[in-house]
Amino acid sequence: MSHSKRSNIFLLDAERTTWHDETLWFVRQKRDKAVYATPEFQELRQLASDIKDHTLSRLDFYLQQFEENARRNGVQVHWAADAHEHNQIVLGLLKRHGATRVVKSKSMLTEECHLNPYLIKHGVDVVDTDLGERIIQLRDEAPSHVVLPAIHLKKEDVGDTFHLHLGTEKGNNDPQQLTETARQHLREKFLVSEVAISGVNFAVAETGSVVVCTNEGNADLGVNLAKVHIACMGMEKLIPRLSDLSVFTRILTRSATGQPITTYTSHFSKPAEGKEMHVVIVDNGRTKQLGRPDFRNSLKCIRCGACMNTCPVYRRSGGHSYDFTIPGPIGAILSPNIDMRKHASLPFASTLCGSCTDVCPVKIDIHTQLYKWRQVLGQEGEIPASKKWSMRLLSRVLSKPAVYGLGGKVARQGLRFLPHGLTHGKGYNPWAIARELPEPPKQSFREWYAQQAVK
Amino acid sequence: MSSSREKILAAVRTNQPVELPLPTVPSFEGDDSVEKFTSIVQGIGGTVVEVADATRLPEVIHQLFPADYRIASPLLPEANVPVTAQTPIEVLAAVDLAVLQGEFGVAENGSIWVPEANMLHRALPMITQHLALVLDRRNLVATMHQAYARIPSVGGYGTFLAGPSKTADIEQSLVIGAHGARSMVVLLV
Ligand code: SF4
Repeated sequence: MSHSKRSNIFLLDAERTTWHDETLWFVRQKRDKAVYATPEFQELRQLASDIKDHTLSRLDFYLQQFEENARRNGVQVHWAADAHEHNQIVLGLLKRHGATRVVKSKSMLTEECHLNPYLIKHGVDVVDTDLGERIIQLRDEAPSHVVLPAIHLKKEDVGDTFHLHLGTEKGNNDPQQLTETARQHLREKFLVSEVAISGVNFAVAETGSVVVCTNEGNADLGVNLAKVHIACMGMEKLIPRLSDLSVFTRILTRSATGQPITTYTSHFSKPAEGKEMHVVIVDNGRTKQLGRPDFRNSLKCIRCGACMNTCPVYRRSGGHSYDFTIPGPIGAILSPNIDMRKHASLPFASTLCGSCTDVCPVKIDIHTQLYKWRQVLGQEGEIPASKKWSMRLLSRVLSKPAVYGLGGKVARQGLRFLPHGLTHGKGYNPWAIARELPEPPKQSFREWYAQQAVK
Repeated sequence: MSSSREKILAAVRTNQPVELPLPTVPSFEGDDSVEKFTSIVQGIGGTVVEVADATRLPEVIHQLFPADYRIASPLLPEANVPVTAQTPIEVLAAVDLAVLQGEFGVAENGSIWVPEANMLHRALPMITQHLALVLDRRNLVATMHQAYARIPSVGGYGTFLAGPSKTADIEQSLVIGAHGARSMVVLLV
């Protein structure tokens, strides 16, 4: 199903759409405040972008440096070419320890690899411990945002979910009380889990450490109580030096939620005594993206979600309309790399207003890449038929000034006399679905200009 | 060595662009005052209590936490839950208050560096219901750049801890006390 068809489903609930739009815009405004309060923010963006550019240009070196240092720290490093191998490695480790109870902290990579269903199929009880992730896990949904996984849900939805699964009273929709229930419920899981799986925000080549950022402390609690820690990372998470973290920790949360830093910014370098730590480095299409000069930049993404919060299309269509692990503008660049045909409509789910590019803390040229994907998709014949024919017609009209002038005149006159139902018909004028057409002007710019010249 | 490792590294080598320079990160300065630090800590849901002198720490703790708490701390004689890296999970789970030493604070974001050595057990700062971090007021830096300059090695495990555990996952309403400590107080000595 195309993005526009899926967003139509989301748009059926107009009130919820408005609420979704406003909530994310509020987060975007918090981002602005935090950014304006940081005098060197633009310099930090440039530094972050340059550090990532450099890392990608020497990725083979940093991957090996990271591996060597992590090994020296007593960490076991694994390599996975694709999602399936990643899942196999994780399951293999669980089996080796006879572990069936696993707590997981937020990781978009494991979502991308569909780790949960894989583990569940193999008899593992895997529990997501980030509150938002837990909510959607109970509802059997996918995250709709990279930072705010349950942003599409209202507190009534969460209340209903907890009533159904955690036995809270029906109609109890108080966030404070619901969170308390989740705290108690998840504490039981933390205390008995043999293995904890975490994502990775940054991996430092120089020290062989992985850095995990959370507000809830669920990663730390899980990892520090379990016997085995498995950290799953996409290979693009590397940065060269510990000091580079000073740049990234300053921009990540300010861009994401407007916070000065996450509550916990934790550095895991060595397993605790008597325990094990593993890192799984995952490719899954990333090396391919590295080889595409036009789209390579997207590998710099630090998953702050700012481009989603600001995107007028994302805010009004919801994350699920993208039908991809990473939604929003960055997801629309990453997804065709994985499956161009399946995700052909996503690079068109944007106004190309450039707001995503403006807020991106690592200066990814998001809207330019969206535009480039459209061209690639056009050449590959992947443009939706309605767009293809209207574009063709338009290009013919635009290349003949006389036709264009005549067309304009007909439209200006015609719109005045044609019945409203015909000009605003939802069937053939999608533009008019939620808004009125503007009043047609009496004369065209050319006519007006000709008059001015005479005077 | 797995074959995927070789395959991945080979693909990286073929596909990575020509080398681009690694920039030097300047040490951006800023306000490292107690006032700035305090206001940011309050902004992220924590509290700052100034303690006139270190010997009065037990007294201040008692005032702040008058109830009969199970306390774990290497800093207080009245700590009644002994914790080491080997302490069983059930014992850890019953701790009400942990009082631990923070190494230094970062004024721009209110975070405090807590290395493994100061934690007694790696899970203690998160599993305790309430957390108090003792911090020398002379150990404040302005930005994360100065912070990382102070920790050339992060050791086995360490965290920048900024306020109590929190979440805004239910309709963006901020709730303090998700999984980790329900409250966080900084004791500035
Ligand atoms: S593309 Fe940029 S703005 Fe979007 S999530 Fe990634 S880092 Fe953030």
